[in-house]
Amino acid sequence: MENPNIPPKVQQQIAQLQQMQQQMQTILQQKSQYEMTVREAKRAEEELKETKEDAEVFMSIGSVMVQQTKEYVEKSLADKIDTLELRIKSLEKQEKAIATRFEQLQQQVRSSLEGRMPEAA
Amino acid sequence: MASNENTPTPEEEFQALQMYLNEFNQQIELFSRQFQMIEQARMEMITSVETLKGLKGTTDAVSLLPVGGGAAILAKVIDADSVIVSIGADVSVKKTNDEAVSFMGERITEMEAQGKRLAETVQKLQAQAAEVSGRLEQLYRAGQGQPTGRS
Repeated sequence: MENPNIPPKVQQQIAQLQQMQQQMQTILQQKSQYEMTVREAKRAEEELKETKEDAEVFMSIGSVMVQQTKEYVEKSLADKIDTLELRIKSLEKQEKAIATRFEQLQQQVRSSLEGRMPEAA
Repeated sequence: MASNENTPTPEEEFQALQMYLNEFNQQIELFSRQFQMIEQARMEMITSVETLKGLKGTTDAVSLLPVGGGAAILAKVIDADSVIVSIGADVSVKKTNDEAVSFMGERITEMEAQGKRLAETVQKLQAQAAEVSGRLEQLYRAGQGQPTGRS
């Protein structure tokens, strides 16, 4: 895929851009997975609120279900939500940083290529 | 000299459209897969609701308990009015048969709505893909019928 008309430095920058795109995709995938898990946990939390105080609640630990108190399950769900929301925030920060860097690099590549275009045609 | 600097050449347009078409097709595949998954889960839940309704009120109902590999053992349902229902996030709650049926009924309705939304999205994407396809065909035909010089 190497183009002799493009200087090595720009080719390197293009490769960097592609790498960033992949990173961005991984981050977005992870983020959407966490968001889905948070939504599910929040739903379970809501559902749990509607059940009686003495309801029998179970939690899956591996392939077994263990009976727990409603209070314990509520707390562990809240903890899970907090942890995931923190991770989502951190991913959002990474996403922003990559997007900014991507735009800068893209601009650099564009100006480098535009400067060379007239002869290339 | 470069009056059409910003106008894409037919070849460039062709390439761009081809890229859009690929992206549309990928999205269609993704949403279709999601739709299938939801449909499968919905059908499974409908079957479970039917089973629970069928078991309601029975005592010591003898049923076949699948143990994998196509084998099943005879088992007695000792309490058809106690159902452990998963509410998501690895949490399950014990409910009465009626409560479980109503809870699952709500989920089925939600899945129906979700499925409908997904089907609509797929339809929209298919329409957009067809539009791009049409334009691609137009460009292709124009390219084929075009004489080498301009009259």
